[in-house]
Amino acid sequence: MTQAEIKLCSLLLQEHFGEIVEKIGVHLIRTGSQPLRVIAHDTGTSLDQVKKALCVLIQHNLVIYQVHKRGVVEYEAQCSRVLRILRYPRYIYTAKTLYNDTGELIVEELLLNGKMTMSAVVKKVADRLTETMEDGKTMDYAEVANTFVRLADTHFVQRCPLVPAAENSDAGPPPPAPTLVINEKDMYLVPKLSLIGKGKRRRSSEEDATGEPKAKRPKHTPDNKEPIPDDGIYWQANLDRFHQHFRDQAIVSAVANRMDQTSSEIVRTMLRVSEITTPSSAPFTQPLSSNEIVRSLPVGYNISKQVLDQYLTLLADDPLEFVGKSGDSGGGMYVINLHKVLGSLATATLESVVQERFGSRCARIFRLVLQKKHLEQKQVEDFAMIPAKEAKDMLYKMLSENFISLQVGCQ
Amino acid sequence: MAEVKVKMQPPDADPVEIENRIIELCHQFPHGITDQVIQNEMPHIEAQQRAVAINRLLSMGQLDLLRSNTGLLYRIKDSQNAGKMKGSDNQEKLVYQIIEDAGNKGIWSRDIRYKSNLPLTEINKILKNLESKKLIKAVKSVAASKKKVYMLYNLQPDRSVTGGAWYSDQDFESEFVEVLNQQCFKFLQTKAETARESKQNPMIQRNSSFASSHEVWKYICELGISKVELSMEDIETILNTLIYDGKVEMTIIAAKEGTVGSVDGHMKLYRAVNPIIPPTGLVRAPCGLCPVFDDCHEGGEISPSNCIYMTEWLEF
Repeated sequence: MTQAEIKLCSLLLQEHFGEIVEKIGVHLIRTGSQPLRVIAHDTGTSLDQVKKALCVLIQHNLVIYQVHKRGVVEYEAQCSRVLRILRYPRYIYTAKTLYNDTGELIVEELLLNGKMTMSAVVKKVADRLTETMEDGKTMDYAEVANTFVRLADTHFVQRCPLVPAAENSDAGPPPPAPTLVINEKDMYLVPKLSLIGKGKRRRSSEEDATGEPKAKRPKHTPDNKEPIPDDGIYWQANLDRFHQHFRDQAIVSAVANRMDQTSSEIVRTMLRVSEITTPSSAPFTQPLSSNEIVRSLPVGYNISKQVLDQYLTLLADDPLEFVGKSGDSGGGMYVINLHKVLGSLATATLESVVQERFGSRCARIFRLVLQKKHLEQKQVEDFAMIPAKEAKDMLYKMLSENFISLQVGCQ
Repeated sequence: MAEVKVKMQPPDADPVEIENRIIELCHQFPHGITDQVIQNEMPHIEAQQRAVAINRLLSMGQLDLLRSNTGLLYRIKDSQNAGKMKGSDNQEKLVYQIIEDAGNKGIWSRDIRYKSNLPLTEINKILKNLESKKLIKAVKSVAASKKKVYMLYNLQPDRSVTGGAWYSDQDFESEFVEVLNQQCFKFLQTKAETARESKQNPMIQRNSSFASSHEVWKYICELGISKVELSMEDIETILNTLIYDGKVEMTIIAAKEGTVGSVDGHMKLYRAVNPIIPPTGLVRAPCGLCPVFDDCHEGGEISPSNCIYMTEWLEF
């Protein structure tokens, strides 16, 4: 971790969690993985305070722990995860665009609290929404729960790893720290039973106090003595899924810029359908047949199958190579070339930096060298059609700022 | 009694006669005759006499000596050329020959020296002589501005020497290139826009937004902004610079031989395109363009908290 990154983490931790957490957090980032007593000793804070700080950090997924041999538990801070705090507003905004205010508040609650149970989230969000609503109107828990389920189905929120069910309780002394596991299949499984149960219970408790408007109830009964039905099942925001969403947005806008609106909608549909089936680091999305695409297009877009096929062919033939054709069954199987897209976007970003920083003629030289890999001075002048003196000047300027490097060739 | 040796005197022993016969033969075979042919014609002449005759004709400039794969050829010299070279001596003719061989690329004086093995002073004298007779000319090369190459007077210098259409008197014409650049781009842009507005089915839209290099070339020629005649390759180099500007993309399609503008069965099509991302975030903030980016850190003289660019930018 660079000095600048550590400084940034320190500022973030301080702003969000206070001084003590900041001290412990930064210490862990600097020194790597350490056991509890060493942390306490090195930072000069009391064991109690260190424990509390670590609790906060673990709750927010900023620190992980591992049991090493000889029963020593070591704690490790995740600097990159700390830096993600900067992106919280963007995650919340994304949830707002996709799932309206309800989604926005759900994600906000999860991000601010690290881990929460579903019932706690639903309750809190319903309360907050009710406060903003007009008098007499209340927010139904079911609606919030509905949005929560949709968030879970599209993988924006996921279950936290759990303590595995103790199979044989007499397996000897319990380990110093539990090893949390989560089954891949269960990660997005919303606890169904508790959902229904909650609904009923809410309704029954409503029947108890039918006279009072529901808006007042949560404020006047701060201690809810009901047992939480889904205790132990905690949820957290799935940051990787948000990142995948940002990537998809970038791809769609690139296609819209290069081609037209309809093509970008088609690409958006393709990405949406393969959201969940394709792992985020795959080079291609799952092949989709053009029949499937036609079926999944948003309702407003009624373009005929032939026109869709034409668009798909154009996308596949475009020199950008964002979309590829992988087969002919089902009217043509199409994939999105994720690695190629990301490469093109990265190249375009670099070129944009050079253009803004040095000017469009330097950008021309930069693109030229990028395409041709190696060029001599004279070739640069000839291809770019820039007079020799100016070309030399520009090349040396970019060389001095390390955008271009010089290689001495053998004569 | 002294023995009188009677030497059989061949009838045509007169050297002039021999030369005339040879010239007649050369006229008969304008492509050149070999020594063998002369021998067959005049079998009674000895080799030495033959050689003398031929040498005289050569030195008088009436015969050309060529080497073919069968041997030496003698050819009658063009009367015009023969006239020109009259009065020049052998060395001059040699130098002239070397320069002629260099074609329209020209040859440097040092190379002439190597080829002819003549001393430098002689070469210079001969070159001055030939220049004054308007037989050769000196052309400045664009690659090395001090170098002068010599070529025949009436030849058009090759592109590599003058730099082609983009150089006028050794100066690269950057405004001219810029103007052409913009014109080509505008042409392609308008074409793409009309295609987009036609609202036809996407295939036709895309295909009509393409222009072949031949079309662009015709448009530029008709515009008449160039005083020099431009070839299709010249236009293609301009279009390539537009590709490096990221404004245009190119595809190559197979075209039937004979369609207008196709070269070797291919045709290059160009289309104006938009960039795929808007200017990126880093350069929209002042830090991306800051000249003292590397010196900036919190607590230093130049820091984000006292950055004037940042203050200005946030004031909007």
